[in-house]
Amino acid sequence: MQSLSAASVPGVILDLDAVLILLSAFACLGSKLFDRYLAYYGAQSVLLAVAAGTVAFVQHSPALWILAGLTLLLKGLGIPLAARHLLVRRLQLKRDAGLAAGLSFSLIVGAALCTFAYLVAGQRTLAVGLVATAVVPLSTAVVLLGALTMVVRRHAVAQLIGWLIMENGVFLGAIVLTASFPFIVEAGILFDVIAAVLIMLAMVSGLAQQLGETGTSEMRGLAE
Amino acid sequence: MTILAVLVAAFPLSGSLAALVTPRARPAGWAALAGGTLALAGATLLAVHVLGGPPVRTLHDFVYVDGLGGFFLVTVALVIFLASLGSAAYLRVEEARGTMRPRQVRAYFVFFGLFAATMLGAVETGNLGLLFVLVEASTLASVVLVALEGRPAALAAGWKYVIISSLGITIALVGTLFVYYAATALPGTPDQHLTWAFLVRHASQLRVTSLRLGFLLAVVGYGTKVGLAPMHTWLPDAHAEAPGPASALLSGALLNVAMYAVIRFLAIADRGLGPAYGSHVLLVFGFLSALVGALFIVRRGDFKRLFAYSSVEHMGIIAIGLGFGGVLGLYGALLHTLNHAIGKALLFLSGGTVVLAYGTRRAERVTGVLATLPVTGAALLLGALAIVGSPPFGLFLSELTIVRGGLAAADPALVALLLLLLVIVFVAFMRTVAGMALGPRLAAVVTPYRGRPAQLTAALPLALSLLALLVLGLWIPGLVNSLIWQSIRVIR
Repeated sequence: MQSLSAASVPGVILDLDAVLILLSAFACLGSKLFDRYLAYYGAQSVLLAVAAGTVAFVQHSPALWILAGLTLLLKGLGIPLAARHLLVRRLQLKRDAGLAAGLSFSLIVGAALCTFAYLVAGQRTLAVGLVATAVVPLSTAVVLLGALTMVVRRHAVAQLIGWLIMENGVFLGAIVLTASFPFIVEAGILFDVIAAVLIMLAMVSGLAQQLGETGTSEMRGLAE
Repeated sequence: MTILAVLVAAFPLSGSLAALVTPRARPAGWAALAGGTLALAGATLLAVHVLGGPPVRTLHDFVYVDGLGGFFLVTVALVIFLASLGSAAYLRVEEARGTMRPRQVRAYFVFFGLFAATMLGAVETGNLGLLFVLVEASTLASVVLVALEGRPAALAAGWKYVIISSLGITIALVGTLFVYYAATALPGTPDQHLTWAFLVRHASQLRVTSLRLGFLLAVVGYGTKVGLAPMHTWLPDAHAEAPGPASALLSGALLNVAMYAVIRFLAIADRGLGPAYGSHVLLVFGFLSALVGALFIVRRGDFKRLFAYSSVEHMGIIAIGLGFGGVLGLYGALLHTLNHAIGKALLFLSGGTVVLAYGTRRAERVTGVLATLPVTGAALLLGALAIVGSPPFGLFLSELTIVRGGLAAADPALVALLLLLLVIVFVAFMRTVAGMALGPRLAAVVTPYRGRPAQLTAALPLALSLLALLVLGLWIPGLVNSLIWQSIRVIR
């Protein structure tokens, strides 16, 4: 664990990587086009795979290597490509119109959430000498930004992407905070995510056919 | 016993396999029923075995059944058994009418089996990570059941359900991570740091800050699936839009599985942080849920939504019982879990038949169920009486125990508030259901089940659950009693 401290080369890579992951979450929050959402999510997942690879390299952990490979293949390539095929090509979804808040306003709230993450998950709550301490507040911020995306966007696809970003944030925290998380559990979580995306995409296409458009504001037929 | 534990979770998959072979409701229904029966028998055997000796544990505690697990296993398996009887009857009607195409019938049984299997698996594991994986998997399987009928409202309800639950369950994962992190300084392997038995044994050595954070996040996260207010908003839509037997499974089994996860975290937090902390958290969520449930039950309208809000209220009552704590509070909460599971299965199954016969979920358009469909009407009326907690049914006894637990351990004002909410629910719930059950016979409405075997399949789960509720109100069978005592020893 020592070799992952912030001064070492892997530690610096991990920190930089986590910053880039946060930036891609911001990019998603500031975008309005569906293919951009998917591209940013794919890039974020690739970065996540790099983070997993870095930890795997330092700890000589074959299980984490496999996990990094699976993340790259399934989340980095599989989900974005499949979703692009279905949503952009087949359903012709282009531009997200269902914004509950303006882009600049959501970005400002996002920045506030990042500050909040630093205050909450900073050094105070965590033991000193932990692997790459800077990553923990960064991953907390990614989780919060994902949740924010789910809140400020009304479109089903945007909510799905928001959840996936949140999940990436949790995964980043899990890899770094507790590098030794049992492999079968990590793999199970990954499997759940894939299954969830498949089911949600099926529902999005069902909704698109039924409603013509997939804004969740169209679903207000349900009483509270 | 290990093999039996694995088999119990695998039995319900028989329905899935049969549906994959043939998309017909009749053979798939029989297969699902066989799976459900075997699962119930296996779960009972396993519970009896656990009662006598140490927990069943293998594969680094990835399989772990103790008294608490055994109690929830029997409860969940019982609801699965009742719901598979209901499904066999319900789906045949939908198939014969052509309202469900073969593709939908197949999807129903495939995901019904997966849903049941993942829930049984969830209460059989001692690994908190695997628990998360299985609870999330059960969400995904049940989403398909909610959205199955394909109406825009059903799809929208399914979407709301999957998004809110996934969000909640991700929060629970963060909580699990923090609890895991709280243990990383302890000796032992990483696998152990995530197992329930290890965490409970070393609870006092866990890092306090991250344990507290982890517990709160886990309660909020799994509480979303329990349907605790204010995270309950997915629940009424999902319960209303799903086919009747699937609603029974959601309300009677899924909510309890999530509550089981909350109880596991509560047991760790009680030992690590002292009993006051967890108790306060659960009391806040419990009273909020009971209040929200009671307020929405007052509104008339869709009767399946009414039943769903009653689930929110009852989950609140169970959380209140856990929050009161003490032997009486815990005994009442666990007994109430079983009673509510059976009662809600009864209500949603009879409600499903009413939907099939009347073609509407609006309570004001349904009258004279008792005269038109005597069996369903009687089940509906008696089930409603049971669920609002009138004697001689089981829920009266368990609510009384919770109230006594509250008087022994908590502020009497809280108990008074609980009693007030129970009275409001009694009046509001009975007003609506009595309006449905009584009244003149509607000539146009006939029983949806064709032929005597179908009618028997539909009536059997109603009769069985009524009988069980009656028995539990008058006398608690030895097995149930010992399982609850064993569970209390596990929790405290």
